[in-house]
Amino acid sequence: MNTDDAIILLTAGTLATACGLLGPFLVLRRQSLTSDAIGHAVLPGVVAMYLLTGSRSSLLATLGAAAFGLLCVLAIDALRRTRLLGTDAAIALTFPALFSLGVLGVSGFASGAHLDLDSTIYGEITFAPFRTMSLGAVEFPRPLLMTLLAVLLALGFVLLSWRGLQTLAFDPEFADIAGLRGRLIQRLLLMVSAIVAVIVFDSVGAILVVTFFVVPAAAAQLVANRLDTMLLVSVAIGWVSSFVGQRAAVAYDSSIAGMIGLTTVGCFLLLRLLAPRRGLLWRWLRLARRRDNTGAPARTGADSAQPKNTSASA
Amino acid sequence: MNALLDLLPLPYPEAVVATGSAVLGFIAGSLAPFAVLRGRAMFGDAMSHGTLPGVALAFLFVGVKDPAVLLVGAAICALGAAALMIGLERAGRTAPDAAIGITLSASFALGIVLLTHIAQGGSGQQSGLDAYLFGQAAGMVVRDVWFTLILGGLALLAIVVFFRLLRSASFDPQFSAVAGVPTWTIDAASTALLVIAVVLGVRTVGAILMVALLVAPCVAARALTNRLGTLVPVSGAIGALAGVSGALLAGRAGLPTGPVIVLLATAFAAAALLFAPRRGVLSRAWRRHAARSARLESEQVSR
Repeated sequence: MNTDDAIILLTAGTLATACGLLGPFLVLRRQSLTSDAIGHAVLPGVVAMYLLTGSRSSLLATLGAAAFGLLCVLAIDALRRTRLLGTDAAIALTFPALFSLGVLGVSGFASGAHLDLDSTIYGEITFAPFRTMSLGAVEFPRPLLMTLLAVLLALGFVLLSWRGLQTLAFDPEFADIAGLRGRLIQRLLLMVSAIVAVIVFDSVGAILVVTFFVVPAAAAQLVANRLDTMLLVSVAIGWVSSFVGQRAAVAYDSSIAGMIGLTTVGCFLLLRLLAPRRGLLWRWLRLARRRDNTGAPARTGADSAQPKNTSASA
Repeated sequence: MNALLDLLPLPYPEAVVATGSAVLGFIAGSLAPFAVLRGRAMFGDAMSHGTLPGVALAFLFVGVKDPAVLLVGAAICALGAAALMIGLERAGRTAPDAAIGITLSASFALGIVLLTHIAQGGSGQQSGLDAYLFGQAAGMVVRDVWFTLILGGLALLAIVVFFRLLRSASFDPQFSAVAGVPTWTIDAASTALLVIAVVLGVRTVGAILMVALLVAPCVAARALTNRLGTLVPVSGAIGALAGVSGALLAGRAGLPTGPVIVLLATAFAAAALLFAPRRGVLSRAWRRHAARSARLESEQVSR
């Protein structure tokens, strides 16, 4: 592994850390797809700033993206509060419109320029080592700096509002009456996620935002029984997938972002099958064993307690 | 069909695109309520992304960019994505939204990896495959319109015939399960209908924007009516209106069709949410205001 590979791996891993810290709350609050929406909605911000400044990698482009990310979150919230449509419909109504604005901007005004849709969608993590900036005397890859900032932001938010987040994750109404400011924390969670999503968007592209936020957290949910374990496991899965995905991409000469995404999903499916107690494989084995022993009532009685458990936890 | 298109006061290619977009908008709009009412608005998003690896795989197997072959690949993979989502939901512990997120990630990552692989083959044949992400309404030909009409017509026929079953399944799945309706079959059938809409639409507006065609007309129609029997045609009509006006506007302004259609459909939805006669935001605010001033007046009188 050379330095470039190491920088790519570190960038992906730190991103996975930031997302792994926030993702579990989004998943538990059933807000996973907000991350997908933000990932698409930032496009007009990037395009607008590109048209204004003529550069795609400026800090301004990131700020423009962040502005549209926040706009997207606020619009979804406002739509939801009309109570005329559900959260999922609110999400599905908001982000395609914002994304359309971005596509129109690219094709109408920025065509032929160095802003092509493919790279904004697929991500440019491959170029992470080359997008450097000077910090004092050292040349430092800018994406890595951004992802480190994202980790600091996510970690700071989670540590500072741990109790509120914990209550919010499992009992939002209680969080509100118990003076833990459930609604405020919920809004902060979405805003911090929006900022982190913008940084992810900048380095791995629009669609993998949802991968990094949702898949490790959903996988961690299959093995963890405590919130803090869930956070740790989802960060760990993020690092493992970044490493394996990056190696596989080098080995097969394929897209790094795509391979990391595939590995993350692979981790989820592996746990879905083999997680202790909750793995589907064990459930199928139990069912098969019960089918063999249909003659023995005592046996079926003991076994039927377990599927009940699993369906209750769903 | 050609005689019909000649009747329109439009140049021929524009007439084809406008008709095709209108038909597509109507079909997507009328199929949408059965997904949106069940809280599956984002299902279409995961399915439309699921078409991407399907297109790539079909191209890899066959080696030519034949639209029919690509369409079949897209349909199979979209069905696979739907099956994965429903399977993950039923396996427990994973909430529906997370299941959608996982499917989305899986399809898209696989799609990128396959497209990269194909691009490295470098036969030059593959260029334009990623048009599937953003759609290409302007490339529509009469054959596409026919295709949309036939497949979509079948889907609409299925809605009309099985309307009562679909209605009970979308409003009260528990009741319909208890009442002896085969929920699995209904689930599979309504998913298959959605796949038809997605596969037809992805070619026009693209995978990323397809979800808007499946949601915005339904949201607009829902603000206007409470009955499913009216919701389906109204939603279809709004979809068709967005399709035809978007296609014409985009053609005149030289813009890509998909985004314009989506923006118009969203604008219709926003307008309906704001201005709908009874359920709209403004009319509710007005009623609240009226109620408050009436209460104040009566208080003053009693004083």
